[in-house]
Amino acid sequence: MKTPRVFQLTALALVLVSTVQVGWWLFDQHRLAVEKLQEMRQVYAQQVIAAQALLDTGTAAARVSALMPGIIVTGRRAALSPNVDRQLLGEERRRIAQYAWESSFFILALAACIAVIARALRAEVRVIEEQESFLALVSHQFKTPLASLQLSLETMAMRPLSQEQSRTLIERMLSDLARMEGMVTQILESMRLDRGRIELRREPVDLAGAVARVVAGIEPRAAKDRIGISVDIERGLEVSADPLALDVILRNLLENALAAVTPVGGGTVALTARRTAGEIELAVRDSGVGFPPADAARLFQKFTRLHPGGGGSRGTGLGLYIVKRLMQLGGGRVGAQSAGAGQGATFVLAWPASEPRDRGLLGQGGEPDSMAGPQAGRERS
Amino acid sequence: MTAPAEHTRRILVVEDEPHLAAGVVENLRAEGYEVESVADGRRALDWLGASSCGLVLLDVMLPEVDGFTVCRSMRERGDNTPVLFLTARGDPADRVRGLEAGGDDYLAKPFHLQELLLRVRAILRRWDWYQSASAAEGAVLRFGGNEVDFRAFRARSWNGVAQELTEKEAMILKVLAERPGEIVSREDLLERVWGYDVFPSTRTVDNFILRLRKRFERDPANPRHFLTVWGVGYRFLTEGEP
Repeated sequence: MKTPRVFQLTALALVLVSTVQVGWWLFDQHRLAVEKLQEMRQVYAQQVIAAQALLDTGTAAARVSALMPGIIVTGRRAALSPNVDRQLLGEERRRIAQYAWESSFFILALAACIAVIARALRAEVRVIEEQESFLALVSHQFKTPLASLQLSLETMAMRPLSQEQSRTLIERMLSDLARMEGMVTQILESMRLDRGRIELRREPVDLAGAVARVVAGIEPRAAKDRIGISVDIERGLEVSADPLALDVILRNLLENALAAVTPVGGGTVALTARRTAGEIELAVRDSGVGFPPADAARLFQKFTRLHPGGGGSRGTGLGLYIVKRLMQLGGGRVGAQSAGAGQGATFVLAWPASEPRDRGLLGQGGEPDSMAGPQAGRERS
Repeated sequence: MTAPAEHTRRILVVEDEPHLAAGVVENLRAEGYEVESVADGRRALDWLGASSCGLVLLDVMLPEVDGFTVCRSMRERGDNTPVLFLTARGDPADRVRGLEAGGDDYLAKPFHLQELLLRVRAILRRWDWYQSASAAEGAVLRFGGNEVDFRAFRARSWNGVAQELTEKEAMILKVLAERPGEIVSREDLLERVWGYDVFPSTRTVDNFILRLRKRFERDPANPRHFLTVWGVGYRFLTEGEP
């Protein structure tokens, strides 16, 4: 865990040192070139003085020109040939241009390296932070039902209880256990979805049938909490989806609706479906606690629990996140609307109404729906 | 005004998880306490604004207003009712935050029922002691030009500055003032004021004594009322050391 980090930091340090080194090297080369050219100019200037001295002592102009090729003599005056001056100037410009190109290239290349390493480091830090906050949240979520379970057990051990009191405690404990079990499932599911290692099938699924199965499983509990569930979906309406994923999506959405309606002492949950232009929409409308419209997007984030009070004894804050991820992976979308707290809420699932088609090898030979548990989607091997 | 003994048997449970709230309430009732229960921070503050109790069992992660904020708001409006935090976040940093917010004790979930009951009993006993010791003749303490009103948690120091005392400061002062001139050990102070292993070290007591010196000594560096007895504890002198 730590070695790659040390390696990355060392590499970053090396690249930084190299950048400084390249900068210094270029600066030094440039300085050297300028110095050399200046020295040559001085040498030529001395040659001009020497030539003039020779001329002054009566040496023939032709002889002076032959001895010092860079010098021209006009009348009895010695001067530097304009060709030499041009050459020196040209050389200086050429070198400066060369250094400018080389330095830009090296600095760009090194900056790219730094950016790549820094990006990797930042990504790693983010992953670690996410893991830590995930762990903290998960352990927090577990401690509450654990505390409740422990309290019930210790109460039973410590106090003489009537049969009715014992039954209440046992029901409470069973429900705490169910909650923890549900949490484990949801956590595993959300982790698999996070990694994206899930391949969903797309096959035509009868929406009314899928909804009816999930509703049947949840209805007894809803009735106990005085919640009426109504379904109005025309027969033969098909969506292109993974049957197991659809089962998980519907169950999570209904659990969410129950959690929203329970705290207000009961109410209704209505499921309706319709075909719109290019889409098939399923709306789940509840008469529950609702939410401020500004929270609509936050609802689908991990560990968001807007109503932890009432139905919250079941909520893990992962349900709607799973719904969103599964819908995204399946090519659909999900949205939520509410007029505000206490106004109820509507969740809409939408699938493209394209021709159903089977995708890839993993789509072959499906599993029976009775297995439709939380393990929706199959991991890519 | 309600007599102390009447409402010190009453406990407010602020817990949003229905099972846990029910379990705690049932057990406290079985112990003979009068228990009220609310499920969020705002309702807790409303309840406390209208009624009084001897102890608040306060969950930290609450809807609407979190437990720390509830406790801080209570202290800000001069409500010194003891607070026992119940929370799933049991790390030391969180513990310190709870105590800084003005909490008296801190219990991490999941907890043992016996331990919860023990701590509740200990806090209520300390509170009971403080209230009865601050009744009638013990209500006001005068020393070195300072005047402390234990019931109002207020004081006026020798230079006329009005002081708001925290519950712990008042309790430490009360323990010391009960035994003027005697040596009171740090452990004794911890036991009487905190009563439990909330703080890991006796250094906490030292910090509170420093705060009391700052409030009430003319020269906190050369105390005349709150004297250190090296290696043992403290001695309180009402007259001041000559």
